[in-house]
Amino acid sequence: MTRLGLLAAAAALALGVGMARAQPVLRAVGIENQYANVMAQIGGPYVQVSAIESDPNTDPHEFEISPQVAGELAAADVVVENGLGYDAWADKLLRGGHAEVISAQRVLNLPGTTQNPHLWYDPATMPAVAQAVAAAFAAKDPAHAAYYQARAHAFDASLQPWRDELAQIKTLYGGTAVAVSEPVADDLLLAAGLKIATPFTLQAAAMNGTDPAPQDVAFQQNLLVSRQVALYVFNLQVQDTLSDSFRALAQQSDLRVLGVFETMPKGAKSYQDWMHGETAALAQALAASGH
Amino acid sequence: MTLLQPGFLSSLPVQNALLIGAGAALLSGAAGVFTVLRGQSFAGHTLADVSSAGGALAYLLGISPLAGFFGLAVLGALGVEAAGERRAAGRDLAAGIVLGAGMGITALLLYLDVTLKGHGGAAVAVMFGALFAAPPGLGRAVALGALAGLAGLGLIYRPLLLATLDGELARADGVNTKLLGGAYLLLLALAVTLCAMAVGAILSTALLIGPAAAALRLARGPVAAMALAGLLGLGCAWGGIWLAYQSYGWTPGHVWPVSFFITALVLAVYAAAALARRG
Repeated sequence: MTRLGLLAAAAALALGVGMARAQPVLRAVGIENQYANVMAQIGGPYVQVSAIESDPNTDPHEFEISPQVAGELAAADVVVENGLGYDAWADKLLRGGHAEVISAQRVLNLPGTTQNPHLWYDPATMPAVAQAVAAAFAAKDPAHAAYYQARAHAFDASLQPWRDELAQIKTLYGGTAVAVSEPVADDLLLAAGLKIATPFTLQAAAMNGTDPAPQDVAFQQNLLVSRQVALYVFNLQVQDTLSDSFRALAQQSDLRVLGVFETMPKGAKSYQDWMHGETAALAQALAASGH
Repeated sequence: MTLLQPGFLSSLPVQNALLIGAGAALLSGAAGVFTVLRGQSFAGHTLADVSSAGGALAYLLGISPLAGFFGLAVLGALGVEAAGERRAAGRDLAAGIVLGAGMGITALLLYLDVTLKGHGGAAVAVMFGALFAAPPGLGRAVALGALAGLAGLGLIYRPLLLATLDGELARADGVNTKLLGGAYLLLLALAVTLCAMAVGAILSTALLIGPAAAALRLARGPVAAMALAGLLGLGCAWGGIWLAYQSYGWTPGHVWPVSFFITALVLAVYAAAALARRG
């Protein structure tokens, strides 16, 4: 390449960068796609949002970092992560970067010893995260601060039908015992006033892929066989022989089974749509269980 | 601490574990005596490591882990046999290279298990065993496999013993030692597969050669050694399962890995046998 050619290339590059800067757009990343979805709802046309973990067929606990992901994070202005070790790999990549990092764990003031990391199933989580996201967007892009705040309020209001549905389940079925494969939807079940009968140690073993205690396995099998629970809730994104055998046992015992997603599934239009759909399915399963 | 915590024998995962442990211990005790006598411990370990690729493949395809482990162990046996090396040093070399290739494939398949299928615990389960999480029907399948293996070993017992103790004499006697060696490797593949069901692929060699080596120090004659090795292995397997069950209260709500207890007992049995022989 000639010197002239090099100069022309450098000029074109500078022009390209200049054009990208001229657009009033923030870049934001949600480590899990449910956070990205909420960020997109707050940011509207002014924020370009991408998600790192969005494949509903894989288990986010087992995520592996690629150079592309590192590049996306380096370019981001605002990042939302879950915290509680769920996406600890992101912390390392984000250290020293220019992105404003919002951790759902820190927003909710949860201690590091909190056992269940699936925070987005708690109805209190996303409104608080949405507020923090709106504040971060406003700080990075003050021109549209009012817009971001308004979107955060609208988001909170849009969760009301979900909260109503949870309250209704609590009224109708409060105190009903359910069995679970792992803690993925525990916060939603608790918010609906249900009692989780499965020992947490068994749930943790399933979540972490460690050997379960046979005492816990026998306890869970007894819950299902003697129909001490109304239904069995399992994670659709994780396959393991133990969870499969509990599911088979539940079905043999004529119990209802309910599959839930760990990250936002492709079919869901939004976070609200996803949570509302799963809660409606829960209400339906409880109604059919006859408990 | 009560000797038998309530629910130990009536617990389905414990019953399954006891059956798997028994099948693995009895066949590997008998096959292990020949493994030690023939100096093929490393070949046994190679088959076990290669079989881990089958364990990982079973998760990917959703087939029985027994079929996956055994299929790849047989392929490993064919690989070792195809290398066809007679000298001990060259044999170790061939086995080592087959082992490396097998473990490399395991690394790939485990990566696919985790990223495509969401089997988070696959790596630990395949390599170090997850006896209490074994599928319910596995105990019966392992017991049947052990019976088939013991019957096969009974069929080739006499010529195999002769070929093991004196290959020249066996050949002069008209024994096809090449065919016999191949048949024995298939039995070895079955034995390490059953051990891998109990303690995982990497640790299965412990159950294969530990009780056999101890029994050979104590017993007179190969049949007595095989029987004793089976009993010692059974003691290690069932003792390990019992200790793991007891450990529920040690770190509240968790059991320590069964594989840890079984391999620790194997070491204790071997050390005790060595001391008894010396004393």
